[in-house]
Amino acid sequence: MLSGVSKSFAATVAVRDVTLRAPAGSQTVLLGPSGCGKTTLLRIIAGLEHEDAGVVSIDGERLSCDGRGLPPEKRRVGMVFQDWGLFPHMTVERNVAFGLSREQIADGAVERTLDMMRMTKLASRRPHELSAGQAQRVALARALAPRPRLLLFDEPFSSLDAELRVRVRTEVAQLMRELAMTAVYVTHDQEEAFVLGDEIAVMASGRIVQQGAPERIYLEPASAWVAGMLGEANLIPGDAVGDVANTCCGQVPLLRARSGDCQVLARPEHLAISAGDQATVTAVEFYGHDTVYRVTTADDEPVVLVRAGAAPSHQVGDRVSLAYTGPATVCFDAPH
Amino acid sequence: MASPATSDTGIKPVGARNRGSDRRSSWWLRLLVAVIALVFSAPVLFLLLEIANVSEGIGQIVGSSEWVVPLLNSLGLAGAVTLASMVIGGGLAILISRTDLPGQRVWRLLLALPLVIPSFVGATALIAATGPGSLLPFVPRLEGFVGSLVVLTLFTYPYVLLPALATISSTPTSAEEAARLLGRSGFQTGVRVLLPQLLPAIAAGGLLVFLYVLSDFGAVALLRFDTLTRVIYSSRLLDPALALTLGVLLAALALLISVAMRRVRVPSEPPVSRANQRYRYRLGKLMPVGFLVAALPVAAGLVLPVIIFLTWVLRGSSTIGVAYSGWGDDMGFLVGPMLGSTAASVAAALAAVVITVPVAFAVVRRSERLYRFAADVVTSLFALPGLVIALALVAWAVGAPGPLGALYQTFPLLILGYVLHFGAQALGSGQAAFRAVPQRFDEAAATLGAGQRRRFFVIDLPLVAPGLLTAGGLVLLSTLKELPLTLMLAPTGFKTLATAIWGAATDGFYAEVGIASLTLILLSGVLTWFLVLRGRLGRV
Repeated sequence: MLSGVSKSFAATVAVRDVTLRAPAGSQTVLLGPSGCGKTTLLRIIAGLEHEDAGVVSIDGERLSCDGRGLPPEKRRVGMVFQDWGLFPHMTVERNVAFGLSREQIADGAVERTLDMMRMTKLASRRPHELSAGQAQRVALARALAPRPRLLLFDEPFSSLDAELRVRVRTEVAQLMRELAMTAVYVTHDQEEAFVLGDEIAVMASGRIVQQGAPERIYLEPASAWVAGMLGEANLIPGDAVGDVANTCCGQVPLLRARSGDCQVLARPEHLAISAGDQATVTAVEFYGHDTVYRVTTADDEPVVLVRAGAAPSHQVGDRVSLAYTGPATVCFDAPH
Repeated sequence: MASPATSDTGIKPVGARNRGSDRRSSWWLRLLVAVIALVFSAPVLFLLLEIANVSEGIGQIVGSSEWVVPLLNSLGLAGAVTLASMVIGGGLAILISRTDLPGQRVWRLLLALPLVIPSFVGATALIAATGPGSLLPFVPRLEGFVGSLVVLTLFTYPYVLLPALATISSTPTSAEEAARLLGRSGFQTGVRVLLPQLLPAIAAGGLLVFLYVLSDFGAVALLRFDTLTRVIYSSRLLDPALALTLGVLLAALALLISVAMRRVRVPSEPPVSRANQRYRYRLGKLMPVGFLVAALPVAAGLVLPVIIFLTWVLRGSSTIGVAYSGWGDDMGFLVGPMLGSTAASVAAALAAVVITVPVAFAVVRRSERLYRFAADVVTSLFALPGLVIALALVAWAVGAPGPLGALYQTFPLLILGYVLHFGAQALGSGQAAFRAVPQRFDEAAATLGAGQRRRFFVIDLPLVAPGLLTAGGLVLLSTLKELPLTLMLAPTGFKTLATAIWGAATDGFYAEVGIASLTLILLSGVLTWFLVLRGRLGRV
């Protein structure tokens, strides 16, 4: 869908030579830290920003090439904005009707959309009379109503408070899958990426560094950086011998055989903690559903995180041993 | 644990401010804005062309010292009024918002009100109120430099007071409270802690006053002080070369000031927090003095003129006037100027808004050098005195061939003059209005399939409409109070309230001056309240 897209602003390159494919009916998430160019990429797809080079196409139809092509209003690409961008001088009903033709409105498309979003009662409200959650739904309804070929979400839940965010994103994920809508999301929140995406594209410094199914990139990140972007990650020094590595946590199975010094990826939940004399507990954080221990093997060694699914059974200062209990994992080159 | 380096390729993150700067504009918007910029640069071009025409005369003038005295008079008066306004405006701002002087809300309103009286109207009243045999026989008759200084200061200090008040009310008192706790006296705190925070606002207001005095024609003419404007006006027919030279000089001076004004920027006001406005300087035994200081400008700049005008109206012609025969005539006399003022100001407001909207839209929504240049041209013309604009338009219309020459002394040329002079006000409000509409709405509409025209008419225009109404209102208000440009460009027999007051004052028809002035003050008062004061004073 996107191929070889680049974009720079003045002296800064925002997006460099990105190729992204979003299969029809799938949910793709662009995940990356702020400033990595993910929003720029989204706006290029929408036609709100012009690429310096590259091609944007949907179903084989070329939307733009090297910055020349259809204006946003001709693309049939919908977008849900971070701050929703609801027209303040229009009611909910008129906001939703904005993108529809006369025939579609006469045909009852507005009512159907409002009904689908369970917002019929809000039809005559103005945006300032809506709660954040309601405004979010209106923004989604407005973008969905004209049946776009592709729906883009720019950090759609970041303006909601934590509790609402969790609820709304589950709703949205369900709705998008029911409607079999092709969607691209932008987020910097890995949890959100996992809930929403069939496919996650991790971006850094204007490039897509890895794209794949959520489980796959969680368990097999392409680099230490990607591993950290997707969740807490311990990088444990080890010595690889074929398809295992010897570490302070015992033998760890490897996905790909190699030999020599390396750093083994061990997610905190893949480590088990028990009384012993290998390491010392430096902090215990109890989260209710689980407990995280910070453990150090020696003063100058990095802290290792261990997640255990129970109430704390060790205290700060306790001597413990660690063991790897997870699936075969990946390892990266040892730092120089 | 992995602590990845976020940027291994040395690419700087792209901030949000870059967003939305990527919109392309169509050729017709560029053409339209270019034409508008050209029209607004016309007065300066005309002046320079005319100068070339009369170049021999100029050599003589520059060689003589005819230009030196008016220039020094203008600069001296503008400097003196500016200083006085800064001291009075800044002092009053502190007095009525940081001390325990009672009735702060009332003072805020009263002390801003002299703003509604055009300086030449105020001058008419104050000249009559002073000198032997007047209402205030113990005050020497106002005229010349001192008279101009007093009169202009009385009607321009609000230009300093209003921004100073705005800054004070958004400045938390915590720094002053800290200064007191660190052992400073109230006076020391005011001078060393509060005043420095107000200086940018006071300086910005001061520059506005400087510009106002440079451009002022009516008051100095009535007070018989030979500034550039007065000499230009009186010599424009007999000695056009002198008028043009002085006009160019005045224009250059005004544009110079407007450049300085861009340097002095009043910091935008953070939201006012009432909880922070606790500390007050206590006046103690000085309370009566404080009261007098606050009351004096109100008495001289508002109450006195109104009393004078009322007396004239009530006395009719029995003692002073010549041609006057009672109330019926008064009202009849008002009809023409009222209609003239209404027609001129409504037409000017509409034209100014319509003409500046494309520039406002373009400069906010499409960042291109051409648009910023056009906005700068329109804005800088605000600094150009009305008299100079009129001079240029007259020179052009008189010299222009055929049908264009026929524009001389017609309504359209008068309206063009107003638009050139006050277009900056319309542009400023228009720009603010467009800036207040987030780019988001335009983008959302685009992704919903709305083309450029629909986005402008259905999204932007309804959202900026209130701002454009303010823009029109400001032009309306300025046009209503305008004198020299109207005197020079109005069609023969066409009168506005301002020119009617001027004519009646020079001819000594005081009853008519009174009734027309009261009408003008009332109209301008109502407009000023809605457009300028309500928002600023209401929330404090």
